[in-house]
Amino acid sequence: MSLPLKHKKTDTSFWDKRRGVIHTKNGGLVIGEAVYSHGYDMMEDLVGQASYFQVMVLNVTGRLPERRLADWLEALFICLSYPDARIWCNQIGSLSGTLRATPVAAISSGILASDSRMYGPGVAQRGMEFIIQARLAQQEGITPEKIIDNYPRRHSEQPPRIPGYFRPVALGDERIAPMECLANHLGFKIGDHLALAYEIEKLMREIYHERMNLLGYCTAFLADQNFHACDIYRLLSIWVSSGINACYAEAADQPPESFFPLQCEDIDYQGKPRRPVPARN
Amino acid sequence: MVVQKQKVVKRDEAFAHQTKTKIWQEIPSEQNPYLTEQCRCHGYDILELAQKRSFMDVLFLLFQGELPNPEQAELLEMLFIALINPGPRHPACRASMNAAVSRTNTAHLLPIGLSVLSGTHLGAQEVTTSMRFLAENLGHDPVVMAQEALASEYPDEGGLHPIPGFGNRFGGIDLQPLKIATILMGHAGAGAGLAWGSKLAETLELHQMGWLTTGLAAATFTDLGFSPWAGGGLFQLMNAPGILAHGLELADKPINDMPFLDKDHYVIAPEAQKN
Repeated sequence: MSLPLKHKKTDTSFWDKRRGVIHTKNGGLVIGEAVYSHGYDMMEDLVGQASYFQVMVLNVTGRLPERRLADWLEALFICLSYPDARIWCNQIGSLSGTLRATPVAAISSGILASDSRMYGPGVAQRGMEFIIQARLAQQEGITPEKIIDNYPRRHSEQPPRIPGYFRPVALGDERIAPMECLANHLGFKIGDHLALAYEIEKLMREIYHERMNLLGYCTAFLADQNFHACDIYRLLSIWVSSGINACYAEAADQPPESFFPLQCEDIDYQGKPRRPVPARN
Repeated sequence: MVVQKQKVVKRDEAFAHQTKTKIWQEIPSEQNPYLTEQCRCHGYDILELAQKRSFMDVLFLLFQGELPNPEQAELLEMLFIALINPGPRHPACRASMNAAVSRTNTAHLLPIGLSVLSGTHLGAQEVTTSMRFLAENLGHDPVVMAQEALASEYPDEGGLHPIPGFGNRFGGIDLQPLKIATILMGHAGAGAGLAWGSKLAETLELHQMGWLTTGLAAATFTDLGFSPWAGGGLFQLMNAPGILAHGLELADKPINDMPFLDKDHYVIAPEAQKN
């Protein structure tokens, strides 16, 4: 486009068309008639007939997935529902509970914490982008070895930290086998992205002793189901909510400020020693 | 379903036994080790700071480890005042107001608005990106940078930010940050960041673009020595009073004090409805 030049009255027609009105392709409530979502009457077509996860995918992507995909996705959510207060986002639930924040504040805060560069939905888009790009590269004849070699890394002597092929704290992932088993049970075949993910994992194991984690598995699986990277970030945005809720509930049911209390000496102060405050000039 | 368990081992990774900080020291009470006898911020007793120094001084100290000189404190305070309120049309304020009028717990109004203000477009993430951009490009000619940025392809519609923190709003130059920048530029605490940003904004003026609040904050924080990550958060902090005030103004009001669009103003595309 040509950029606007000075001394011309600003053309605001783009915004004027949107002023005071909402145009939507999603749907919404028409009082006395129906509530629509992407071509479906929610009360007639979805309530009691579709699962919550089917409707979630519909709302996010505009397409109603088959039930088995929604069931697989629901199982994926269980995989990030550990009721373990050591997990970073879950501990925020516990800390909220101990200070009697509301459950909604607690879970919202914990979900925000999971918007991380290391784990959870925050890294999901990058994981998805990696496997989609890797598959495109493979189609252009680039080998999985080269795909790994080409991945940017901070320090050349360290293994590449490819999202989906490195898990903090643990090596290996107990969640992949049950998800593979479920996928098989539901009749899903291994697609091109997942096949490549397994090849990459094999090399990562041989060269760097790293394993694919749940993110690597699920992003490849979902890429085979034709999801886009941005869909995945959106679909997984509340991925960790259940584990946070568990940790919140336990802490909220205990006396206030009793969750994992710290004495002053439990913090290792490494800053400047005591000094007098200079007066303001 | 029979699941073959995968072998999972704990990484051989040493975690700290204690959380470390260089910011804050809490001297325990002799009677109760959980209670604090004295708090020190980078070595200064917080109560002594409360009596001798301004809020801006201590804010600066908290993030930078040393008290500011008077010019730095004044520049920071001017920016904090100038950007105290994004205004009732700003999405962050509107989020707080929407929540308030729908009887949301008032304790959530501020975090709701601040979350909206966290984004890459006019939000905290744009401040951080803009500060990184400034750090990388202060040595380059802003006129050339502007020309290079303007040579790129842009979407046909919507706000354009060819350089993080700089661009247009609603097709034109955002006048408030421009006016604030002019004032800040005349202050003794202003440095290379604001000067570079002003030159860039002048070059962009021909294309109806210039300073955005995010770029202005980024340039000022750069001159004051804050890190890019601190800049993003401080931008949220300085906008917080306005977001909260606008929310609270509607907290006790009936829900019809704000628009709820009728069907003529909420237009559902035919394909979204059931045929």
